[in-house]
Amino acid sequence: MSSNQSFLKQAQTILKEQFGHEQFRPGQEEIIVNVLNGRDVFAMMPTGSGKSLCYQIPGYLLQGTVLIISPLLSLMEDQVHALRLTGEKNVRALNGLMHPFERSRVLQNLRSLRFLYLSPEMLRAQTVIKALSKITISLFVVDEAHCVSQWGHDFRPDYMHLADIREQLGQPPCLAVTATADEHVRDDVVRSLNLTHPAQIIMSVDRENIAIIVQKTANQKEKTEQLFHLLEKAPYPGIIYCASRDWTERLAEQAKQKLGLRTAFYHGGMDSIDRRKIQNQFLDNQIDLLCCTNAFGMGINKQDIRLIVHFHFPSSMNAYLQEIGRASRDGKQGLAVLFYTKSDEQLPEGFIDGNFPSDEMLHRVLLQLDQGTRSLADKNEFMSVLMEEGVSETAARFLFEHASEKPIQQTYSSLLDPCRMRIKERVAVQVNDLSIMKNYLATSSCRRKFYLRVYHEKLQEKPAYCCDRCGIPLSELMQRIPKKKRTELRLMDWKQKLAALFQESGRSPL
Amino acid sequence: MYQDALLLYLVQKFCGERTCSGIYHLLKGKKSSQSVQDSYLFHVAPFFHSCSELSRSCFDARIEHLQRAQLIKPIDAECTRFVLTEDGVKLLDVFPENRLIPDGLKIIDQINEEGRFWLKLQLLVQTVSALCQGQSAFLPVVRQPEISEHVRRLILSGPPTRDQLGRIVFNELYQLFLTMPDDEANSLSALLSGWKASGLTLDQMAEASRRDALECSILFKSALRRMMNLFVGSPDQFPFLSRLLIGRQSSLSKTAETTRKLLQTGLTLHDIASKRHLAVSTIEDHLVELTLKKVNHWLSDYLSTACEQQIMNVADHLKTRQLKPIKNHLGERVSYFQIRLALAKNAVSGRKVVRINEQ
Ligand SMILES: Nc1ncnc2c1ncn2[C@@H]1O[C@H](COP(=O)(O)OP(=O)(O)O)[C@@H](O)[C@H]1O
Ligand SMILES: [Mg+2]
Ligand SMILES: [Zn+2]
Repeated sequence: MSSNQSFLKQAQTILKEQFGHEQFRPGQEEIIVNVLNGRDVFAMMPTGSGKSLCYQIPGYLLQGTVLIISPLLSLMEDQVHALRLTGEKNVRALNGLMHPFERSRVLQNLRSLRFLYLSPEMLRAQTVIKALSKITISLFVVDEAHCVSQWGHDFRPDYMHLADIREQLGQPPCLAVTATADEHVRDDVVRSLNLTHPAQIIMSVDRENIAIIVQKTANQKEKTEQLFHLLEKAPYPGIIYCASRDWTERLAEQAKQKLGLRTAFYHGGMDSIDRRKIQNQFLDNQIDLLCCTNAFGMGINKQDIRLIVHFHFPSSMNAYLQEIGRASRDGKQGLAVLFYTKSDEQLPEGFIDGNFPSDEMLHRVLLQLDQGTRSLADKNEFMSVLMEEGVSETAARFLFEHASEKPIQQTYSSLLDPCRMRIKERVAVQVNDLSIMKNYLATSSCRRKFYLRVYHEKLQEKPAYCCDRCGIPLSELMQRIPKKKRTELRLMDWKQKLAALFQESGRSPL
Repeated sequence: MYQDALLLYLVQKFCGERTCSGIYHLLKGKKSSQSVQDSYLFHVAPFFHSCSELSRSCFDARIEHLQRAQLIKPIDAECTRFVLTEDGVKLLDVFPENRLIPDGLKIIDQINEEGRFWLKLQLLVQTVSALCQGQSAFLPVVRQPEISEHVRRLILSGPPTRDQLGRIVFNELYQLFLTMPDDEANSLSALLSGWKASGLTLDQMAEASRRDALECSILFKSALRRMMNLFVGSPDQFPFLSRLLIGRQSSLSKTAETTRKLLQTGLTLHDIASKRHLAVSTIEDHLVELTLKKVNHWLSDYLSTACEQQIMNVADHLKTRQLKPIKNHLGERVSYFQIRLALAKNAVSGRKVVRINEQ
C-alpha cells in the first residue's frame, strides 16, 4: 500500500469513529493527504463545506499540537464547542477575553493539547511564543486566510506577522483555508504566509443544493407582502437577514401574529445573555424563523437550516454567499430568497462609510494617542470607549489595529496619511464589491452562472433547482425540502423547569 | 397594566423633583451616586436595579403613553418632569400594593452583589445541568471571565461526582423555591438555561405568561433577592449554593466601602481624595452614600446639628428636596455637600417628602 493510501485509510477511520461521518466531502481527502505528507497547503472551499475537518483529522494522526489561528472570538468559541461535542477534551482556546488564570492554566498544559485555537493578537505576546516554542507543533493552521491579504474584504493587520511567527516556531507545515479569495488574494496569501510550493486545492464556491431566487418588488409594501406570501409555505427552520435592528423586531412580530410561527429576533443591540439564549433556542429547534442582522451566523453550526431570506441585500457577493451558505449544510435541498426594491440601494453605501473612521475621528484619535488622553493598553477598553462615542465596531478595530502598528520612534499623528491611504483603498474595494452585488441583482441570466463568473469559475452542471432565471417549480421544490419536527418552547412552572434542568423527574426531592 | 402602575407610582414618589431620566436610571440601577441617593431620598430603594434590562426607547414610549392617556402631566416646558393627574392618582390608588411591590423586592442589603450573583447562578445552573446529563460541551450564556472563574472554583470544590452535584443543586433550588410565592419562583426559573432547556428571555416570558416585561422583571428580582437573603441568613440550609455569595456582603458600593475603611483610620476627606487620586466631590458622594446607608459615623465632623436643622427647616418650608433652591435660600452659610448630607440623613429617618401634586 502506498503511503498516501495508508494515510487515507487512517483518515477514513478517524472520520467515522471520531466524527461519525460516513464519507469525505469533495476536497477534504486531497487536502488531508497533502497535510499528512507535510506539505504546505492553500485550500479554498465554500462556507459550510467542512474545512475544519481538514485540520481536525490530521490532529489525530500527527505528533504534537495543531495550532489554529482564527480571527473571530465567537468563531473560536463555536469551534472549540463543536470539537468538545465530538468528545474531544484536549482542545483549548487562547484569546484576549479570557481570565488571566485561565490563560496561564492553558499555557501550562500546552503539551497535553491536541488542538489550540488562538486569536492572532495572542501571538504577539512573548510569553505565548515562548511557551509554544517548547512544544511540538504539528500543523500551523490559518483559518479565514483571506484576512492576510489587504486586497481581501476583511484584512487584519495582525495577520501580517504570521509568517514570522511560524518561523519562530520552527516552520511547522501550514494549512491556510478560506471560503472566498480571488486569484489576487490567493497569490497574496501564499506570499504573505511564505508558503513553500503549496498544494493548492480550490473548490467551487457554488452550493448546488441551494435553490436561488431573487425577487424585485415595486416598493417596501409589496416586498413585505411577497415575503409573507413566501413564508406561508416555506420550509423551516429559516433565517431572515435584515439591514437594521428595527426590521428584525418588526418582521419577527408580524410573522408571529400572521402565521403563528415561533419567531425571534437577534441583533447586536441585545443583551449578550439574551442573544445567547436565542441562539441556543434556534439550535435546539425551538424557533422556526429567526429575524436577524448580519450579527448572527458567524460560526453557527446548524446543518438543517432550510431557508435563508434576504429582506435587504448584503453589500458584497462574499457576504451574500456566506449567508446563503448557511442553508442545508447537510447536503439536502435548501432555498435562498432575496427580496429587493429600488430604495434598498441606498442602504449599503452608508454601511461602507460606517466601516471606517471619519477623517475627523481619525485625526482626533491619533492626536489623543500622542497626547496620552487615549491609550491602546487595553484593547477592549479602547474599542468600547470609541463605540460609545458612536464609532462602529469595524471602524474602532481599524483604528486600534493601525495605531498598534506604529513604529516606536514615530508619533501617532504621522500615521494619518498612511491611514487615509488605506481607507481610500479599502473603500474602493468595498464600493466595487457593492457594484458587483447590484449587477447580480439586475442580471437577466442565470444567477449561479453570474456569481461563478465573479470567482472566475464556470458552471459545470446546472442543478435541477437552479435559480429564478432558469425557472424553479416552487411547489415541487417545497416538496423536496425536508420538514422539521418542532419542539415547543413552553412556560413551565418551577417544578417542571427544575426537573427539565436536572433530569430529576424520576426522583422526588429530599 | 402593571407597567403603568409602576411608572405612576414612581412619578408620584419623585414628586416632579427629578426628570424622567432619574426614574429610568433608578430602574436600570445606574451606578451613579445620584441614582443611589435618589432611591433613598424618595423612598424607592426597592426599585433600584429592579428592571435592569429595560431599554431607554421602551421606557420613553411608556412615559409618552401615560402622558397621552392623561395620567401624568408635565410641570416644565421641556416635558422632562411629571406629576400625576387626578386620573393617575385614581388609577394608582386601586392598584394592589402587594402586587406593585412584592415583599422580596424590599430586601436590598445585597443590592451591589445582585448583578454578579445572578450571572454566577445562571452559569452554575447551566453547567451543572449539562454535567449531570453527561455533557461537557455547551454554549454558556454567561461569558465574563471572572464569573466563569468563580463558578469553576465553586464546582471544583463541590461534591465529587456529577450525579451528586446535580442532586445537591436540584435539592437546594427546590427548597428555595418552596419558600417563595409560585409566581416568583416560576419567573426566576423560566430565565434559567440548561442542557437542551434554554432559558426564556424576559420578553418571551412576558408573552408566555401574559404579563408585561416589567412585571416579569420585578417578580424575578423579588425572587432573586429572597434567594440571596436566605443564603446570607441561613447558609447552613443551602451549604452549596450559598457559596455563590461568599465574599462581600455589603450594601455599600465597593468604592464607598474603601472610603469607609480609610475614614476609620482617621484620614480626612481631603486626605482620602489625594491618597486615592479621586476628586474631592467623589469622596463627598461616598460620605452621602454612607449616610444614606446609616454607616456614617463621621457625619458630625461635616454637619453640625444646628446646620442640619437650618437646612431641613428651609427644605420643609420650600417643600423640596432639590439642592438649588435650598442653597439659594441659605447662601454661603452652608455648602451643597452639607445640604446633601442633611437630606440624606433625614431621608433615612423617614421624614416624608411633601407631594407637590397635593398642593
Ligand atoms: N465529510 C463530512 N460529512 C458530513 N458532515 C461533514 C463532513 N465534513 C464536515 N461536515 C460538517 O459540515 C459542517 C460545516 O463544517 P465547517 O468545517 O464548520 O465548515 P467551514 O468550511 O465553513 O469551515 C459541520 O457541521 C461538519 O460537522
Ligand atoms: Mg470554518
Ligand atoms: Zn440558474
